[in-house]
Amino acid sequence: MKTISALLNESRAALPHAILAFLVVTASAAPALAADGPPLKPWQEFLSYIVEPFLLEGALLALQISALAMIGGITLGLGLALMRLSRNAAIRGSAWFYIWFVRGTPQLLQLVFLYDALPPLGIKLDTFTTAVLGFALNEAAFSAEIIRGGIMSVNRNQGIAATSFGMGSFLTLRRIILPQAMRAILPGMSNDVIGMIKGTSIASVIFVNELTFRSQQIVGQNFKFFTVFAAAGVIYLIMTSAISACQALLERRFNIEIDREAGRGSGFTFFNISLFGFGPKPAAPPASVARTPAPATKDNVGAAASLDWIRNITNLTSPEPGNESVPFVVFRNVHKAYGSREVLRGIDLTVNKGEVVVIMGPSGSGKSTLLRLVNHLESLDWGEITVEGKYVGYQRRNNMMRPTRDLAKARADAQIGMVFQHFNLFEHLSAIENVMEAPVQVYGEKPDTARTLALNLLASVGLSQHANKLPHRLSGGQQQRVAIARALAISPRLMLFDEPTSALDPELVGEVLGVMRRLAEAGMTMIVVTHEVRFAQEVADRVVFMDEGLVIEQGTPDEVLGAPKHERTQRFLRMVEREVDPA
Amino acid sequence: MFRSKGSLLALSSLGIAATLLVNATPASAEAKCEPDKVATKYPSIAGKTLKIGQDGESPPYSYRDPKDFKNLLGLDADLARETFACAGIKIEFVTGGWSGLLPAVIAGQTDMMWDTLYYTPKRAEQADFVTYLTAATGALVAKGNPKAIKAMEDVCGKRATAGLGTVEEASFRELSKKCETDGKKEISLVTYPDMPGGTRLIANDRADVMTTDLNMVNSFVKDNPSTFERGFMIVSDYKIAVGYTKGNKDLGQALLDGLTVLKESGKMKEIFEKYNVDYSLARANEILTK
Repeated sequence: MKTISALLNESRAALPHAILAFLVVTASAAPALAADGPPLKPWQEFLSYIVEPFLLEGALLALQISALAMIGGITLGLGLALMRLSRNAAIRGSAWFYIWFVRGTPQLLQLVFLYDALPPLGIKLDTFTTAVLGFALNEAAFSAEIIRGGIMSVNRNQGIAATSFGMGSFLTLRRIILPQAMRAILPGMSNDVIGMIKGTSIASVIFVNELTFRSQQIVGQNFKFFTVFAAAGVIYLIMTSAISACQALLERRFNIEIDREAGRGSGFTFFNISLFGFGPKPAAPPASVARTPAPATKDNVGAAASLDWIRNITNLTSPEPGNESVPFVVFRNVHKAYGSREVLRGIDLTVNKGEVVVIMGPSGSGKSTLLRLVNHLESLDWGEITVEGKYVGYQRRNNMMRPTRDLAKARADAQIGMVFQHFNLFEHLSAIENVMEAPVQVYGEKPDTARTLALNLLASVGLSQHANKLPHRLSGGQQQRVAIARALAISPRLMLFDEPTSALDPELVGEVLGVMRRLAEAGMTMIVVTHEVRFAQEVADRVVFMDEGLVIEQGTPDEVLGAPKHERTQRFLRMVEREVDPA
Repeated sequence: MFRSKGSLLALSSLGIAATLLVNATPASAEAKCEPDKVATKYPSIAGKTLKIGQDGESPPYSYRDPKDFKNLLGLDADLARETFACAGIKIEFVTGGWSGLLPAVIAGQTDMMWDTLYYTPKRAEQADFVTYLTAATGALVAKGNPKAIKAMEDVCGKRATAGLGTVEEASFRELSKKCETDGKKEISLVTYPDMPGGTRLIANDRADVMTTDLNMVNSFVKDNPSTFERGFMIVSDYKIAVGYTKGNKDLGQALLDGLTVLKESGKMKEIFEKYNVDYSLARANEILTK
């Protein structure tokens, strides 16, 4: 027995064909209404009205107005939604006011106003323009709220991850936020489209002769309201069914729960929306990249597919290996407060080239904030931070640090890779697409080159079998390894790790630390915020202990972890050890 | 009736408040059709295509030709065609919801509304009028008049229906109070949003009587003799007129001349008879500007 959903799926796919067949049969069966001859039976009359050109023209008009108004409305709505999410109160307020006003006044009056009250001011719009404009302005208010809801439904961390790779706000919106928001946006938007097609009937007051008004005119003349209205209803159903079918197709397209591997060839794939990062993918890569080594070129880092892959990357980024006493990241008197809460109260710290620095400390000590200041995910209040002697997105003017205009470019130029506690993989993109995203979109790498690099990076973190899987199909440890590969794809000069293993099950911690260990061995400069004492002990060149926004003590792992001088450090380490080893 | 909706006035008020005063010009003693002289007789509108607003859903005044839905028929449609053929001016019908027709004239989107519009002094503040018909009310009842409704007083204790916000609705409410003071039962009143909706209340025995324009009632009865009949009729004092752009003297004159000629030549009577409208309801043509 077929399940209900299987039947539904079949009927959904069959719907356009059914409509077409219905129209053909109707057209051939329906006698001409106006012809002289014997009176028609009610069912014949009904069929005749369905194919009556006078009514179909009205339907077409409703569709034309709705299509144009929807395009205008959604465009304006997106703008309004972004304005509503703005940090600027004036921008936010004006968008709110527009939506409040337009949603709060009857659309009939808006149309009459546009059509009849503007001419005395010298603006005389024709009927069609008025209808399109009126419906678009109205739709903008409604779709703005739908789009805003969609954007807010996307986890904030998605945007933070994109930002950390130097993606600008528009790029982030287009590639990361909107594709994920679409799932929440689509049902509401379909409602609006269907509502608008039917709602164009109120525009009869400004001389729009669409389907309902035309059917009323026929009924006004012959009183055959049953057959005429039933026929008009069928025409509306055909139009709205088409919208529902489009909705189903699009929802499938944007549904990340459906494996795209499985979705391929299901009949829905002709819907390609490459704008939103769902472009067609070339055939699956060869199972073993190692067997088909690509020549290592400057653009093709890591493609040698040798075991010392990371060395390849770091060789590129540190042309003078061994020169480890060069200061690479320098913090000078760094201050940061959120409102009245001071998070960092004067941090001075230097990280040398090729050095692995582990930052430890209780939560709330300012460790994560310090990391986010390095690549300018957060702004400094006071002091300065340089990476390889340069500010990231700041200019010093009148002895004050001022953010530069194009922050996204500054972050991209700095080439700082970041790995987050909660992975923050782009949920709608497969593992390989996650890795390719920044090289292609930010650094302008050719997709083929980026794909080869991404495959190599995924192979090196042991995930070549999972390249085409979406993040939610991967375990936490696998996701974090993809995240590391993603950070490495931008050929970083510095890697920031923000508690990379805190969200993992204990048995998955090892695989992530293993990758980090190899990265450290390859000479990558790393700042790692973690509670993993053993990792710090074995891998770190230096351990920095922070508390309440200050560096309390720092030194080699043996000094800080083996013989902590400060009472606060001792207490913290006792706590951490007890957690790790409850026995 | 339906034609005097309060909402129309509300919509109209979006337009400009008119300040122009136009004197009422009598029809010239010997009006005749001289289409070639349009440039000298009506210079400001000569050569233009005038837009006439109609709703196309109100037989016998304005409705779609069943043989060709693109074509408009009706007393108002035919009178308009004849009048402007006489003046030598091209016209174009634009159809829209009735309540939007007068606001469009006031805003200058169309030149006139010719669709069973009542003249009222309030409306004359925003548009000018040329009268041509006297309004009358008819009562539509089910075939055989089962509740024996033969005069307004018979409606007490019955189920009545009228268009929302119309003078008919108001008169039923007034009558209902009178019924009670006279010791009769009150009227149970429902309102309908559009005319065909009202007729369906009668056809489906959801209401006993519906009142609206007499000629519409006559038209419903003629088209559906086995369903409806007319209970009674009342000739009211309302003037039905063409409403046109405030201050357009040439247009007013062309309307007045054309209607006068049609009346004198017998053409008007012919059109009235074609659409089963009682010719005794035709009234003197005059321009009303306030």
